[in-house]
Amino acid sequence: MAAIEFLDLGKKYGKVRSVRKLTASITEGKITGLLGPNGAGKSTSLRCLLGLAKPTSGEAKILGVHYKELKNPLTQIGAVLDSRGFHGGLTGKQNLKVMAAAAKIPDARVDEVLKLVDLEAAANKKAKGYSLGMKQRLSLAGALLGNPKVLILDEPANGLDPIGIAWLRGFLRTLANEGKTILVSSHQLAEMQSTVDDVIIINHGMLMAQGSMKEIIGEGTLEDAFLKLTAGGAR
Amino acid sequence: MNLVKAELRKLVYSRSTYGLLLASIFVAVLSTVVTPIVIEQDETGVFGSLEDRAMVDGVYANAISSYIFAIILGILIMSGEFRHGTAVATFLASPKRARVLIAKLVVTALAGALFQIISAGLSVLTGYYTLTFFENVASPSESVFINLAVASVLSGAVLGLVGVAIGSLIRNQLIAIVSTLVWLFVLEPIVLLLFVDAGKWLPTGAITGMLALEFESEAIGVSTADYLSPGISALVLLGYGAVFTAVALVTSMRRDID
Ligand SMILES: Nc1ncnc2c1ncn2[C@@H]1O[C@H](COP(=O)(O)OP(=O)(O)OP(=O)(O)O)[C@@H](O)[C@H]1O
Ligand SMILES: [Mg+2]
Repeated sequence: MAAIEFLDLGKKYGKVRSVRKLTASITEGKITGLLGPNGAGKSTSLRCLLGLAKPTSGEAKILGVHYKELKNPLTQIGAVLDSRGFHGGLTGKQNLKVMAAAAKIPDARVDEVLKLVDLEAAANKKAKGYSLGMKQRLSLAGALLGNPKVLILDEPANGLDPIGIAWLRGFLRTLANEGKTILVSSHQLAEMQSTVDDVIIINHGMLMAQGSMKEIIGEGTLEDAFLKLTAGGAR
Repeated sequence: MNLVKAELRKLVYSRSTYGLLLASIFVAVLSTVVTPIVIEQDETGVFGSLEDRAMVDGVYANAISSYIFAIILGILIMSGEFRHGTAVATFLASPKRARVLIAKLVVTALAGALFQIISAGLSVLTGYYTLTFFENVASPSESVFINLAVASVLSGAVLGLVGVAIGSLIRNQLIAIVSTLVWLFVLEPIVLLLFVDAGKWLPTGAITGMLALEFESEAIGVSTADYLSPGISALVLLGYGAVFTAVALVTSMRRDID
């Protein structure tokens, strides 16, 4: 079954068509990479999927419904977006406790997820003092708070050093092995090749290709396939 | 209920809450401490005298003068979500945006009332203490403290709601606060000069009406007869809040969250 579906999704900002007729589906229990260059429309698609932005046309569904129709969404979907949504004046732990209260999740779970992302030591420091990597971890902790079956991560590797990226890759693999469905966006192709099972490639808001990693890359690398697909996509 | 709990946590964890409370206390305390001094220093007698019971009541009535902070609290609670970017997390947890708004309204009404009770309470105490330094001070009316308590709870809660409504309409925090202050202290007095009779229906007129209660003082030329009764005034203010909230729900609250 498809955990996530984009159906003819379109989103315009004024005259800019950020997403155009995007139709794609994400299979349950796999890690799917949503790949494309800067400005391709990755974040916009995900915002539409999560009910934060209203599609201009078409729709996006998650677990068969619109995000807004989900009951207590944090317990079903976890998300990390590029704007992280944390209050800098609050500690990492306080930020998570606010989320926990909103989703009726026991406070004990806050300590659990902080441990899960190796952030216990900084739990009581203000979030504005966090390094980029720590902020990403805090976002991940927030996404995992409700122990959701689906994770949506927008550029989670952004700002991570090589050790952080390796950690993230292992982390995502562990989560996928637990049966979670993961949709992860990125423009860092080399990284993605060793992380994801399925690929969706978009450029200028349009779908370029969708399939398993093997189907897409054939004998070459993801980068080769990507450049071939996006060639001629001059701006 | 869980959203109310989340909103309460935001309030308790934020430093700005305490800063605002301190400012509110400061202004309220200052007003009851300074007023008797001004009255006694005045040689012309225009302000009347502390031997006059109405004047002493008037001093205590100043205890609720921090009501503006209840509005600002409401604005901060709502527009702060956009300023700090926490709106994303908030609306991911509760994508039905009206529910978030309702939780914020509930929490702000409670917090606004608490702000006013604390500020007015401390202000009455310091006012009482200040008055002990003067001679032949009349004793206040028996009803004055009860009225003050009612007026603080009412003004704090109602104006807090109005603040949330304003903040949901105007996402930019600074613009929301500045427009409110400009409206209350610059534009409305001008409108009042032009349309005297309409005054009591305007926000400041309604605020004055709501706060006035029975503090009628001919000595300083304030007659509550010109204003709506406190209950009606509160309803008028709630009406403004309801209109702002309704407009926000069909406009800014529907807009995309960045
Ligand atoms: N709120 C907005 N207002 C106006 N234009 C926007 C807005 N959000 C996105 N856009 C435009 O939509 C297009 C797609 O942006 P989007 O952020 O979805 O790309 P992306 O694939 O996530 O890129 P990146 O890799 O840089 O994160 C861009 O041209 C961007 O300028
Ligand atoms: Mg992006």
